[in-house]
Amino acid sequence: MRAGADQAGLNTFQPLLSVDMDIGVFGSNWAYCDRLSSYVARMISHNRTDSLLFANLFSSAINELLETIFRTHSPSGRFTCSVARSGEIDRVRLSLPADAEVKAFYDTALARLTQSDAPEQYRASLFSEGPLDLSIGLFELAVDYDARFSLDLEIPDMLHITADLALDKAKI
Amino acid sequence: MATPQTSFDVVFDENNQEFSIIGAMRPESAAELAGCTALFEQSLRTVRGTLYLNVKRLVRLNNIGFRVLADLLIDACENKPGLKISVITSSVVGWSTRKFGTLSAVNDNIIVEQYDADFYPGQAFVEDDAIISLLRTQTKLTWRHERSMLARHGLKPDMAVADICCGIGDFAVLLQKEFEPGRLVALDHAKPSLDYARQVAKDFGVDGIEYVYGDASEMLLEDDQFDFVTCRHSLQIFDRPELILKELFRICKPGGRVYVTNEKNSHCLGEPRGESIQWTYNEVAKIVAHFNHDIEIGPKSRRLMLDTGFKDVKMESFMVTNMDGDPQDFADIIEAWKNLFAGKMATMRGDDPDFIKRFCQGFDDHIFAALHPKGYAGWPIWVASGQKPL
Ligand SMILES: C[S@@+](CC[C@H](N)C(=O)[O-])C[C@H]1O[C@@H](n2cnc3c(N)ncnc32)[C@H](O)[C@@H]1O
Repeated sequence: MRAGADQAGLNTFQPLLSVDMDIGVFGSNWAYCDRLSSYVARMISHNRTDSLLFANLFSSAINELLETIFRTHSPSGRFTCSVARSGEIDRVRLSLPADAEVKAFYDTALARLTQSDAPEQYRASLFSEGPLDLSIGLFELAVDYDARFSLDLEIPDMLHITADLALDKAKI
Repeated sequence: MATPQTSFDVVFDENNQEFSIIGAMRPESAAELAGCTALFEQSLRTVRGTLYLNVKRLVRLNNIGFRVLADLLIDACENKPGLKISVITSSVVGWSTRKFGTLSAVNDNIIVEQYDADFYPGQAFVEDDAIISLLRTQTKLTWRHERSMLARHGLKPDMAVADICCGIGDFAVLLQKEFEPGRLVALDHAKPSLDYARQVAKDFGVDGIEYVYGDASEMLLEDDQFDFVTCRHSLQIFDRPELILKELFRICKPGGRVYVTNEKNSHCLGEPRGESIQWTYNEVAKIVAHFNHDIEIGPKSRRLMLDTGFKDVKMESFMVTNMDGDPQDFADIIEAWKNLFAGKMATMRGDDPDFIKRFCQGFDDHIFAALHPKGYAGWPIWVASGQKPL
């Protein structure tokens, strides 16, 4: 079961940090993906079982999310990245400006992740010819990091994508 | 800020046919890796047989970077008959064994190996559950001395501190309680010891110690991070202690200090039965040397520190004895040494029973001296610290 972050458990999550910026600023520099993922990973890792290992894994995972958003978003509005924690689960929540086309991209991508052949699809696109599938990062999270996603498309011109990660117990 | 940053190094070592990638590789497009690609293709021309791709310290890699590397490796195997590629990953990085592992499914000539303890022959002796109680007792006795020495070597509250080769973490717990560092990282390469360490910290209600799995000779900790770096009784388990000191130097802040403790086992002593004790500890030094380690480093610490580039090197020594509290603690340490040196190590070296008997006798005599009402038994230790120049 990969899609569908647990909505009911929402209020047991403790907010850890939130970073907010103009999507135009975020989208202006590819290096922000790396910096933001490394920063967030470092900030939230110190009280995990192995802080260094956890930070590496967390950074790798959210960097893929951020790179996906870097490539697929609407041009103007706010971009927010926040992390909340409940026990072993870290909930990454990303809000971004999204028109109908952007929403359709995420909606379709997440639907593909729930298919039973998602691991095969992921590996096939990893070794395919031509440009990388834009949803490869989402596939990697779902397949290799066992992320559980949920998507909120109800807000006009915005979307929220939530990924629940349990990397502390992951046997990666 | 404007240009995307791909902060990695690539190095080709022709002698070992080893292509290493170190750092973070998260390009926006394949074109950014042109330099790496060119070096790889050039290196490939000189390779016969097996090419080693070392990604032990490739900490971050995105899918764009992975695809470039995957294409290079797969093309190389397809176009160069007889070529094998061995990708060397590290368990410390977390994601890389799995990620590179997918390559083996695509081409049989690519194998992925996670490098681990086998690399250091000495680790077989120390990454072992039985060692836990030995380290515990040792630290209990050494702490009585070091507790007051640490401040003389520059340790103060609120510092960022790292204890490298922390073992079961007792020393880190004692540091945390006594010196209240601002940050405390304790690193070791034995998972059972780290699990034990985390449990101990939890049982004692000590929070805030970051127990980290890692290899002291190639740490993933960043440069210039710590005010005070300790490494106790551990240089002796590496065949090239200078490489560890280099790493301790690297993670230490300029102006910070690195603190090491080392032994010289041939100088262990006791009375009565001094001669037998001395004979055995001379043999300890020899058997450890046989396995390419040096348990006699103590007095050499000053030179090692200076050669690494430390300045203001301070040195002192102390003797753990049977009169430091309960003599049974001292005796327990010797019993554990006997099992390690005259048990495991002597068996591995293939020593004959007569030798082993005499070897054991010296440890038994040391225990006898320790428990004797008028006896005296000692284990000398050298402390050295040096400053990383500003
Ligand atoms: C003799 S013990 C000393 C432990 C501790 N400092 C003490 O004084 O109790 C050596 C330690 O080094 C660790 N070790 C061995 N190889 C290592 C490596 N490559 N990287 C980090 N630690 C290592 C062992 O697991 C062991 O805990």
